[in-house]
Amino acid sequence: MAGQTNGYKGNQAPGPFLRMGRPGGGGAARFRGPAEKPKQFKGTLKRLWAYFGRERNGLSVILALIVADSVLTLCIPYFIGRAVDAMPPGRKVHFNLLEIMIFVLTAAYIADAVLTFLQGWLVAGVSQRIVQRLRSHLFQKLQKLPVSFFDARTHGELMSRLSNDIDNVSNTISQSTTQLMSGVIALLGTLMMMIILSPVLTVASLCTVPLVFLLTRTIAKRTSVLFKNNQAELGRLNGHIEETISGIEVVKAFNHEEKAIKKFEEVNQSLLKVGLRAQIWSGFLMPLMNVINNFGFAMVAVVGGVLALKGMITVGVIASFLTYSRQFVRPLNNLANIFNVLQSGVAGAERVFDILDEKEEPEDAREAIVLRDPKGHVVFENVSFGYREDVPIIKNISFEAKPGTRTALVGPTGAGKTTIVNLLTRFYDVTEGRIFIDGKDIRAYTRDSLRRSFGFVLQDTYLFSGTIKENIKYGNPEAADEEVEEAARLAHADIFINRMPDKYETILSENGGNLSQGQRQLLAIARVFLAKPALLILDEATSSIDTRTERFIQDALLSMMEGRTSFIIAHRLNTIRDADHIMVIDHGQIIEQGSHDELMAHRGRYYHMFYNQFKNMGEG
Amino acid sequence: MHFLSKYAKKYWKLFSTAVFFLMCEALCDLMQPAILSKIIDVGVASRNMPYVLKMGGVMLFITACGAVAASLRSTLASIVSQNFGAELRSDLFRKIQALSFQNINRFDRASLITRLTNDVTQVQSFINGLMRMFVKAPLLAIGALIMAVRLDPQLSVVLAVVVPIVIIFIIVNMRLGFPLFMKVQKALDRVNGIMREYLSGVRVVKAFNQFQFEVEKFSVANRRLQERSTSSIRIMSIFSPAILLTVNFGIVAILWMGGFGVNNGTMKVGHIIAFINYMTQISTSLMMISMVFNMFVRARASTFRIGEVFAVEEKTSPNRLKHEVTGEKGRIDFENVTFSYTGRVQDAVLKNITFTIYPGETVGIIGSTGSGKSTLVNLIPRFYDVTGGSLKVDGMDVRDFHPHDLREKIALVPQKNILFTGSVRENIQWGNDRAGMDEIERAARLAEAHDFIAAAPEGYDTMIGQSGVNFSGGQKQRISIARALVRHPEILILDDSTSAVDVATEMRIKAALKRYAKGMTCLLIAQRITSVMDTDKIIVLEKGEVAGLGTHEELLRASHVYQEIYQSQMGKEVLQDGRTNERI
Repeated sequence: MAGQTNGYKGNQAPGPFLRMGRPGGGGAARFRGPAEKPKQFKGTLKRLWAYFGRERNGLSVILALIVADSVLTLCIPYFIGRAVDAMPPGRKVHFNLLEIMIFVLTAAYIADAVLTFLQGWLVAGVSQRIVQRLRSHLFQKLQKLPVSFFDARTHGELMSRLSNDIDNVSNTISQSTTQLMSGVIALLGTLMMMIILSPVLTVASLCTVPLVFLLTRTIAKRTSVLFKNNQAELGRLNGHIEETISGIEVVKAFNHEEKAIKKFEEVNQSLLKVGLRAQIWSGFLMPLMNVINNFGFAMVAVVGGVLALKGMITVGVIASFLTYSRQFVRPLNNLANIFNVLQSGVAGAERVFDILDEKEEPEDAREAIVLRDPKGHVVFENVSFGYREDVPIIKNISFEAKPGTRTALVGPTGAGKTTIVNLLTRFYDVTEGRIFIDGKDIRAYTRDSLRRSFGFVLQDTYLFSGTIKENIKYGNPEAADEEVEEAARLAHADIFINRMPDKYETILSENGGNLSQGQRQLLAIARVFLAKPALLILDEATSSIDTRTERFIQDALLSMMEGRTSFIIAHRLNTIRDADHIMVIDHGQIIEQGSHDELMAHRGRYYHMFYNQFKNMGEG
Repeated sequence: MHFLSKYAKKYWKLFSTAVFFLMCEALCDLMQPAILSKIIDVGVASRNMPYVLKMGGVMLFITACGAVAASLRSTLASIVSQNFGAELRSDLFRKIQALSFQNINRFDRASLITRLTNDVTQVQSFINGLMRMFVKAPLLAIGALIMAVRLDPQLSVVLAVVVPIVIIFIIVNMRLGFPLFMKVQKALDRVNGIMREYLSGVRVVKAFNQFQFEVEKFSVANRRLQERSTSSIRIMSIFSPAILLTVNFGIVAILWMGGFGVNNGTMKVGHIIAFINYMTQISTSLMMISMVFNMFVRARASTFRIGEVFAVEEKTSPNRLKHEVTGEKGRIDFENVTFSYTGRVQDAVLKNITFTIYPGETVGIIGSTGSGKSTLVNLIPRFYDVTGGSLKVDGMDVRDFHPHDLREKIALVPQKNILFTGSVRENIQWGNDRAGMDEIERAARLAEAHDFIAAAPEGYDTMIGQSGVNFSGGQKQRISIARALVRHPEILILDDSTSAVDVATEMRIKAALKRYAKGMTCLLIAQRITSVMDTDKIIVLEKGEVAGLGTHEELLRASHVYQEIYQSQMGKEVLQDGRTNERI
């Protein structure tokens, strides 16, 4: 008998998917209620199968091994039967036959063991590679999705799909692959042997098969819905966990621990209820199968007994047959089980494919040109945009930034300044109007080249858990160590870096958590210094750094801005005072524009903003 | 692993009942071969048809009993394992919520989440499996062993050789497995960690166009996970065939010995068939046991990781009894406070901090990056305990407060915006559950947030995604401020919370605060000197020490550090500009 697991591995923890009912939130957030069966069962299976495609060689070998092993497994009971026949009850033992059979059996067993081992070896490789590929595709897909996709979803939700769902698929694949193949072969082969041995007895055992089908379908119908619910609840739980652990400072600060726990309990209990029902239903499968199986054995025993009495078959045949019967029901049981397990596996795979099906950022136009050595001439022409169609953020904005100039965007928050940046870099595309760089519509350039010509220092820093050096080199992976240190020096980050025990090799924790907010900003700035881009965008970058350090950075930024077109969004009038061109933006429109002197003379909005800042100066 | 004992105590009764049913089930299963053998040896051999039929009936009856037992057992097993899993998860969540910051930061956040989800599930699956078949397998094996020995002691010699060998295999399997699986979980942590980081920093990745870099980074981790998983599964997969082979050799031996036995008339053929059946039974069971141990090793790795969290002991002193507050409400005293994250004096980030903030004062805190401003302020709600000196709120040392009560008095607007999934209204209500709509609106108005909220299509019911994506940075900050205000705190702490808000708006917020909260003590950490210029007093921090304390005018006269900050932002020339304008 091949080393098959007769196992029903308890409830998996299949992938969850948190759906947030976002009214019209950006991106294609499809809405699926929890109580749905895996609708495209077959379709999803087919797609999963595509991943197996590359493993064709491995699979063929495995198949061959399984066939060989199954043949062996089929013959073994026969050999046993013949060996038993060599010892007829109450008569002389035919030792010759016995010896031969024993020899054959031994060889068969050894071969069986080797084949089983090889199977296990190969299957491990195949299934892990498939899962690796799935993970890799998912991650690569994520790189191509537009920013709006991420803005519309919570991290916990996405993480769930990426971890829990893939885990689920992985478990299902490793469990089901061999069992499916070997199960079917074993089934057919055993059936064949049984028919050869005794058609009558075969009929007797097969009468139970329709019952098995019925049972499996009834249970699977229920469990598929329950598994889906289970996943949905698990997703909700995951989302909640992610939020409260990421934001645990706020939870504690607001004494929200009790409430966070209460909400957790609520979802936990919900999950418990669903999980329990799924489990209990699944749990009926095996016992009932057993009853049916044993009924089959009983039939065999009785009918066999009758036949033997009539002298139509030998006792040895009954013995073999019983062994075959056992061998028949095992794969049958396994297949029923697998069908159940597949329900949750497929649901998990569906969620993974959901993401793979998402719309990517539109491809660059075929004639897209690479933006090289940009001079930095930027023009906005009647640009309008809104994240949501009914809520325009920017209305009809037009301005021009000549190459090498510094343009400052000021105005109250939410006025549209960050949005302008999003549009410049094509994180989002304009709804109306056009944006030009160096005389061409930015949509004519490849996204890559467009973005690479900008240097950003954004409001939120993103650092990853690598060394400080690696983080700075993010700006230019080819840079030499001296360049990295120079960039750090320019950003005034070298002071605190050199104070750390491992200096540039210091490893940062998740998102640079072991540094202060200000230090992280400095690293982000160093990163830009290293990248030396043609255009600069500073989005309230230095707000988190105190004004003292900022002064030094200002100097460095000033020299970096020499000859480069830059856009600065800051609230500190001091930092923008020296800009060549200032635009006051409010409610998505440009209220005023001009140089500092012009605007001050104008006595308009800018004048009042500036004046307000120094209202309390007194006689300082 | 000690944490498991609590659950063991709670569930052992149900567990045992399930195991009892499992035994009944196993018993029924065991009887089948014997009955079969009787049918053949007694029924068929003596051509006793009625006997055959009768035994067939008995077999069915026993099967039915077995099925009932199995269903009961299965249901019980589900109840126990699911409840256990839910409880474990809940306890772990509570534990994490109760951890101090120091301790939480010992763990990678992604790892904590993995422990709460994946690891708990592993343990749960194992317990579940334990009651389903993992106990059944040894029972069947032992049962089959007993039946076999009783049936024919001579043949049992074979068993005496086979069984010990199998046991050795199992032990070796286990020993090899544990470290392997720990490595796999670690690799999984890393993969999940990278994904998580990427999700947080999507914009920057796109901005720097580092698609290739990210994909490669991920590939490395992905490949490592794949390699470790593959090798651990492969190594473990040697043992099943080995065990099977051993048992099968046993079968061969039995046939051989049986041959002689039957020849001598000392054995019956029926016995041999039954014995072989028992061996088959034993072999299947042993396979299952081997699988059990595989799962056990996995579960053990997960248990270990969960145990790590439970084992964390809080260093802070136990909460002392609640006292009645006698001091003035909203007064904060720092008395020679020193603080270090590691507890060692050399690493102190705050040294000898001494000052008093009187009730109702608005105090500005200013200083360069890393000077200790946020750290200082985090001590007040007792997120960390001081290493030296004493910190008093309302005249009482903060360590004498139950953290809950202390934090009720304080409202914090953190540096980094943290809003949660839910509507704007729900987010503001976070600060005070009992707040009604009018209070919420009032707080929003004070924070200069009401206008833009009302302008949004769904108003206060507008949904905020993770970190509040629909709104701009400054708008999110104002919602955070509203959340703090709705709390009616004694002490309001704004940690650089107006950095993204423009000057004019900031002015209005401060004016509103002055009007609305006369008695409220307000701490303003800011970068812009204009934010703190008009406060009652300003504390200047430099390298973890107080470098200046006083009003704006006093500091401008006496503090070198303050002058520097002032000039760096305002600039000497700007001074003149401003003054010129003012005169006109």
